[in-house]
Amino acid sequence: MKLLALGLVAGFAAVERKGFLQAMLSRPIALGAMAGLVAGDLDAGLTVAVPLELLWLGAVNLGAALPVHEALGTVAIAGGAALAAEVLRAGGAGGPALLPAAAAAAVVLCAPLALLGRRAERLVERWNERLYARAEHDLALGDDEAAARVNLYGIALPFAISFLLAPLGALVSATAIPLFLERVPGALPPLALGLVTLSAFSCAAGAKAMRAARAKLVYFAGLLAGLGLFAATVLAGGGP
Amino acid sequence: MKEGAPRVPPGALARCFGRSLFLQAAWNRRGMQNLGFAYAIFPALSALYADKAVRREALARHLGFFNCHPYAAAAILGGTIHHEEKVAAGLEPPGAPVAYKATLQGPLAAIGDGFFWTALRPLFGALAAVGTLLFGWPALVLTLTIYNAIHLVLRIGFFRTGYRRGDDVVGVIARLSLPAMAERLRLAGAGVCGAAAALVAARADQVPRSGALYAAALVAALGYCALARGAPLFLAAYAAVAVGVGLALLTHLFGSPL
Repeated sequence: MKLLALGLVAGFAAVERKGFLQAMLSRPIALGAMAGLVAGDLDAGLTVAVPLELLWLGAVNLGAALPVHEALGTVAIAGGAALAAEVLRAGGAGGPALLPAAAAAAVVLCAPLALLGRRAERLVERWNERLYARAEHDLALGDDEAAARVNLYGIALPFAISFLLAPLGALVSATAIPLFLERVPGALPPLALGLVTLSAFSCAAGAKAMRAARAKLVYFAGLLAGLGLFAATVLAGGGP
Repeated sequence: MKEGAPRVPPGALARCFGRSLFLQAAWNRRGMQNLGFAYAIFPALSALYADKAVRREALARHLGFFNCHPYAAAAILGGTIHHEEKVAAGLEPPGAPVAYKATLQGPLAAIGDGFFWTALRPLFGALAAVGTLLFGWPALVLTLTIYNAIHLVLRIGFFRTGYRRGDDVVGVIARLSLPAMAERLRLAGAGVCGAAAALVAARADQVPRSGALYAAALVAALGYCALARGAPLFLAAYAAVAVGVGLALLTHLFGSPL
């Protein structure tokens, strides 16, 4: 049931990111939360949503260029992390490192789906050329309403691809991650730190995606100011 | 417009705008957003051309190539309806709406991509990420609500202005100074990403591994430099995970290196 819900969320996101509305609902930050929610673990969704949003901040459709399919990757990763953590908890595992470790492992396993999604999108574009031909055909037959309506048929294939692939990725994560972590419980803290370093790198990727001439300067200024503020808070006894 | 000239009723205009949200539903390499544009403008054509043959001809001219930023395209859709009304009234030749689209799609695509896709949306993405780190999901909901309030107000405004002003929409959009604003938003976004990196590092201090804070700060700094030198994003991301895992293993084996 959760896999079906993940499929529906992924399908909706695949349509929203390009074919309909584009209101940031298919961005990793929103989608990770939604995927986590339908998989029964909002925290897991938010844990991956933040680094994935920043990592793929530059994933935008500019002209005919195709970015990675960040929506497909996000649902698979967030769903996989949530389901894997659920299996691990059911097996008696726990502790603060469990969720970040499951999230890091889900990123490692499912991030390539974002690349696969981009390839699939190329196929969709070719398929849509057939829809163009169909619209011309309908118009030649005199059915202008049918010719105009053809546009909506373009929604089906992106929906179907993500509906199938995202739950599949989540299922692989939910199976492989608990298997690995139950056999190698010592991997939990290293993977948790892996998520921290990935998150830190994602911030750099986000700043780089800003495409501003002085972005580097402002990014490092923000980083240093933030660290300085943190150090001052710790020194003042406020704690992290 | 002369007295009694055909006008598109408000209901049909609203349907056109609603349909424009599906502009890229069947994006294809040959006509790009052509199917979406034809779908969006169809209610207006139905209202203007009762004669089926004339309407078919009108739809055929909108099945030609079209590509623009999906938000900014609302202005062109509104303006094209404006021109179609003139065509229906006999004030312009049938080629006028097509020429209007061809003239505006490039410049408005550049403005839309530059402002929305590479400035406003990334900034709100970064803000949502930082807000979620600090305050959880309510900050996420609030950020998305603000973004969409801006997005929808501009999108609807573009459509209305295009419809009412026709060719003058260019001047109206130019007065918004979106490219200059975009540069400031991008810089703000970079600053927010820097603050996010500091926040991630500060929170790393809570991970039960000494040196996590330093590792996060170092990766945030070196990561930017690596990307600036052309490192591929995916490989660099995997390397970042490997750094964290490797550091934790080293700490486990040899004690804290930092």
